[in-house]
Amino acid sequence: MFKLHLTRLFLPLSLTALLPIALGLTTAQTPSPLSQAEKLKFYTTKVAPVLKANCLVCHSDPKEPSGGLLLTKRDAILKGGVTGPAVLLNNVDKSLLVEVIRYQGRMMPPSGKMPQASIDTLVEWVKMGLPMPGPKAGEAEPVHHGPPPVNAETKKFWSFLPIKRPAVPILAKTKTLKAQPKNPIDAFILAKLAKAKLSPAPLANKVALLRRATYDLTGLPPTPKEVASFLNDKSPTAYEKVVDRLLASPHYGEKWARHWMDLVRYAETNSFERDDPKPFAWKYRDYLIRSFNSDKPYSQFLTEQLAGDELPKPTPETIIATGYYRLGQWDDEPADPEQARYDELDDVVATTGQVFLGLTVNCARCHDHKIDPIPQKDYYRMVAIFQGTTRFGRPVDKNSLRVIAPAEDQKKYAAELAVYRGKLNELKEELSSVEKKAFADFTPVEKEEFKGEMNRLPLIKKRVGTLVSAAEFETYETKTREQDTLKNAPPKGLETALSITESGKVPPASHIMLRGNPHSPGDEVTPGFPSVLSPPEPTIPVLSAETNSSGRRLALANWLVSPQNPLTARVMANRLWQYHFGRGIVRSSSNFGFMGNLPTHPELLDYLATELVRNNWKLKPLHRQIMLSEAYRRSSQTDTLALKKDPENDFMWRYDMRRLSAEEVRDSILAANGSLNPTLFGPSVYPKIEAEVLAGQSIPGYGWKTSLPEDQARRSVYVHIKRSLVLPILASFDAADADFTCPVRFVTTQPTQALSTLNSVFINEQARIFAKATAYDAGNDPDAQVKSVLWRVLQREPSQKEIMRGVDYLARTQKKFGVSKQESLRRFCLIALNLNEFVYLE
Amino acid sequence: MSEFCGRTRRQFIWETGAGFTGVALAGMLDSTFFEQSAKADGTAKFSNPLAPKKPHFEPKAKSVIFLYMYGGPSQIDTFDYKPTMYGRDNQSIAIKTFGRGGHKNVGRIVEPRWKFKQYGKCGKYVSDLFPNLAKQVDDIAFIHSMTADSPIHGSAMLQMNSGKILSGSPSMGSWVNYGLGTVNQNLPGYVVMLDPRGGPISGAKNWSSGYMPASYQATVFGGGKTPILDLSRPEGLTDPAQKDLLNTLRDYNADHEALHTDNSNLAARIASYELAYKMQSAAPEATDLAKETEATREMYGLNDKKTETFGRQCLMARRLVERGVRFIQVYSGGSHVDSTWDAHNDLKTNHDLHAGETDKPIAALLQDLKQRGLLDSTLIVWGGEFGRQPTAEYAEGTGRDHNAYGFTMWMAGGGVKGGVSVGQTDELGSAAVEDPFKVKNLHATMLHLMGCDPNRLSYFYGGLNQKLVGVEQTQPIHQILA
Repeated sequence: MFKLHLTRLFLPLSLTALLPIALGLTTAQTPSPLSQAEKLKFYTTKVAPVLKANCLVCHSDPKEPSGGLLLTKRDAILKGGVTGPAVLLNNVDKSLLVEVIRYQGRMMPPSGKMPQASIDTLVEWVKMGLPMPGPKAGEAEPVHHGPPPVNAETKKFWSFLPIKRPAVPILAKTKTLKAQPKNPIDAFILAKLAKAKLSPAPLANKVALLRRATYDLTGLPPTPKEVASFLNDKSPTAYEKVVDRLLASPHYGEKWARHWMDLVRYAETNSFERDDPKPFAWKYRDYLIRSFNSDKPYSQFLTEQLAGDELPKPTPETIIATGYYRLGQWDDEPADPEQARYDELDDVVATTGQVFLGLTVNCARCHDHKIDPIPQKDYYRMVAIFQGTTRFGRPVDKNSLRVIAPAEDQKKYAAELAVYRGKLNELKEELSSVEKKAFADFTPVEKEEFKGEMNRLPLIKKRVGTLVSAAEFETYETKTREQDTLKNAPPKGLETALSITESGKVPPASHIMLRGNPHSPGDEVTPGFPSVLSPPEPTIPVLSAETNSSGRRLALANWLVSPQNPLTARVMANRLWQYHFGRGIVRSSSNFGFMGNLPTHPELLDYLATELVRNNWKLKPLHRQIMLSEAYRRSSQTDTLALKKDPENDFMWRYDMRRLSAEEVRDSILAANGSLNPTLFGPSVYPKIEAEVLAGQSIPGYGWKTSLPEDQARRSVYVHIKRSLVLPILASFDAADADFTCPVRFVTTQPTQALSTLNSVFINEQARIFAKATAYDAGNDPDAQVKSVLWRVLQREPSQKEIMRGVDYLARTQKKFGVSKQESLRRFCLIALNLNEFVYLE
Repeated sequence: MSEFCGRTRRQFIWETGAGFTGVALAGMLDSTFFEQSAKADGTAKFSNPLAPKKPHFEPKAKSVIFLYMYGGPSQIDTFDYKPTMYGRDNQSIAIKTFGRGGHKNVGRIVEPRWKFKQYGKCGKYVSDLFPNLAKQVDDIAFIHSMTADSPIHGSAMLQMNSGKILSGSPSMGSWVNYGLGTVNQNLPGYVVMLDPRGGPISGAKNWSSGYMPASYQATVFGGGKTPILDLSRPEGLTDPAQKDLLNTLRDYNADHEALHTDNSNLAARIASYELAYKMQSAAPEATDLAKETEATREMYGLNDKKTETFGRQCLMARRLVERGVRFIQVYSGGSHVDSTWDAHNDLKTNHDLHAGETDKPIAALLQDLKQRGLLDSTLIVWGGEFGRQPTAEYAEGTGRDHNAYGFTMWMAGGGVKGGVSVGQTDELGSAAVEDPFKVKNLHATMLHLMGCDPNRLSYFYGGLNQKLVGVEQTQPIHQILA
């Protein structure tokens, strides 16, 4: 098979390569008295050693020569690398190779200029016409494989083909299967299982199922009431009712917003030295929660985020949605501003490509994609879509903040603001009259320091008695305080959102950047979509006169949700599956390209994708269908035979156990002891972080103001996400790193997790609250206490053995270690919070 | 493992009509790729991510100690001797500089504020800032032609630590632990020690594992009896009481595990509690200096307030190396400006302070490792995120601005030639003119000495085989390899 393809694909190339001649013979431009044999000898004895010593380290790997330039073959040199032919036989001095070794412009080798003699040798060789021995007759030439082209063949890759609704398989009746499954999902799964001669696991028990469903939809454990009601409901629709109840829960939005936040690299600060907060980022998070809760069609959800400001009638909601673009890193003092600009654009292209299309378009930034048929041009056509967007800052308020308040509020505010600014200016003048006096003997460093407002008071104070009188300083101090107060209480601002803006209706021209270098613009490109998907040319909508925007992003959104797009629905349906089953039908859920995993159930995936579109892109019907399937309701218990045949559960013969996510772990601890504050929405909160952790900051505590205790007990989705400082318990249980899009979380098991859930101040305090709540609930009876504690973490009746073990522990601890009843109970609560069954779902 | 839907991955690539590359693909489909894609769902078999792994080739060094001079030491005041600069103080010259103050074309010379003397068999010139360290020059390889992509702390620190000027990529220590694992499971494989004055700019981003699993991030070691966060038992809980608590926990977890024997993650989590318990005693033991002799304490400067903190950290670093820790980073300087080597104000005060705190401890570390036969297998790296300009930052004073065009770093031990100097800056010490090296060359050298091919050690992420040294072929600094 391997050989066959090689022959078919590379026959022409192989043929030319087999010609055992050096073409230098016929095309040499400089007449030379040397014979061809002498020239080849010159190459072997003089040139080859120079190349070997200076160049081949980087330019000899046929797979990945540096800069795409291979110096081991004559035709490769003439073809050149990404910057074009290395040698022009008719213009030796203008040949790139000659220029770079002479250190004219680019410099090669980078480690230092070669001795003049070596340079002369290479130039002489170029003048001779680049004589090099060709491969000997019969000797196979190593085939140089380039990036995959966009052609009829590569367009046939499964995920690039249009989505077709597959027929639901008809299953053969067996002893266990009497009727066709009601749920088409099961028909697809069972058909494959039958083919593989695997039998599915039985259905899970009710508690396991309830825990699974509740966590999957809300990220929280079921309450005792919910468990009791489900266990007591013997009707055939009991489970269906639970799913409907959970889908209607406001906590559903919190849980699923968090998934989306992983994907869009959601963070509330900029990274780098200051790691400053992004104003109003939390409104985007609340937008996500509201969108999921209201079951907003995914097509609309996507369009609002990519182009909410370019819609015919933007609303505050759709403006907030474009905060999507502002969540990435922002270097406020880049060494190379142009490079930084293109890094920012790359962040948007990478995130958008992977999240919405499941394509790593970003790999084509410096050269054609090495794995997928995505030419470099396609990357820069996608860059062109965003070319008109402004940068995050300089200044942030102008570029990234938009007032979304109604017009009448804006008028009223303008008047208030004028008064306010007048007062501030007055103060400023009064202050500066004193400052001017003090300036006289400022050192350069002090001048620098003076730029920071908080430094001014001490700087002026230093000069009391010399340049400034005591009375003047007193006034200065009072006015400074007044200014601080005023600044902290501006007129109640207009409702503002973090959002995208563009610089005008016509964005600057876009170019292919050679080698991805923003200082090397190549051919100009127009906006466009990945060509391997055979997209139409973008139809850029004409926006209203007052919309200061190009409309390109709206064109992108329109194409993404158009029926011709083969990826959008597949990618999203697959994510839904992944977040229910722990893995997607395509495991690499943000990579549907050649290097991604193949779908284990391609027909099922297409079925779900078409269901999504048929339901007007609403997610809740799809959740419902997935969760009502037997596939979802199966037990996680093992089956030796199946395990042997399919250890990775590719066939989905059972439900895979999963560990709770970082947020679920923290929220469950708070839920278990009853202290979880279920308040929805609003600015982010700051749970206490230990001093040892803050010590890692250059200014310990900077940017982390500890919240009130009740706010510290809010759900994790509301915890402030600071790029350089992550809440330890979340970091330790593999929360998403917010610098890049995160499609699948890691699940690590490490001793530092155990240290944190055994010894941390947080966990010990939660255990204390837990014990207190238990004593309140269960009274003094150890039996009842143990039962209550275990029930709160496991949501099931503990066995007699489990109760006895706990009761023994309490008694033993009190007796042997001389601690109080309350303390022994607290320690038992600590044990409960560390149970595997607590953090693993069956 | 490489079976997907009953086909090998290579078959799948061919069969899907994308027969484009046999050779390139074979290289990319290494085992780590499979592990990752299967493991990420949390259900595949547990395998310890830090288990020792085979290097690509026989390593010279087993551990790295990176002495990070945060803020950026001035090269011409430390190791890059520029004799013609003396006597030129305050001269105005044409010079291209780029620092936090932006691009400039002229500058006022601040001549080196310290004298240089020759040391060792190699006759290396070292400034009076390092009277102790200077005696070790025959073991040191100086790289005078380092360059970085940014002269701004935030991005430059990220580059020195992770190879990229943006955050989100794994730091060097993460790469080393990912590539080689660690031999002592009772201690973290990657340890960072901070200056008590504060952390560096960007904090934890400097030792993050970025897009790799959290298993590879550094553990911060503080001073005192509890070097690691949450290492010590809560007050009131005795050792036997904790053992009892853990035994009870294990009994519960064992019952649960018995129902799910095929899920190795459950067993691994049970084991992680044992490991955590062991770490509670192993880590304090490793950092407890009580058993060190008085001579050793004196050598590292523990009896002098000035050198005590850094000396303690260097001594702890040696003890961690002895216990198999792979990568240790020690920061000299914390917080901002004069609490670091960032000498914008008074050069003399600043460098006297930071060199004074570190000279003796670093000299002791080299000497101590050598006398214990550990220097051969321990790579020491010294330097900051960039250097400093030969000219003044302001109209007055001796403050120097940042300089990424040329600066000095040095390496010693683990496979490095001693008594050599490579690369040169111009006569002012302003920019690298001979053998300029990038940060990635430094990283490549480190990986190479650890037995990893820097151009092969890769991690598949975001559609790309990511490398510490980037996608282009990168060479180690051959001139300093022993």
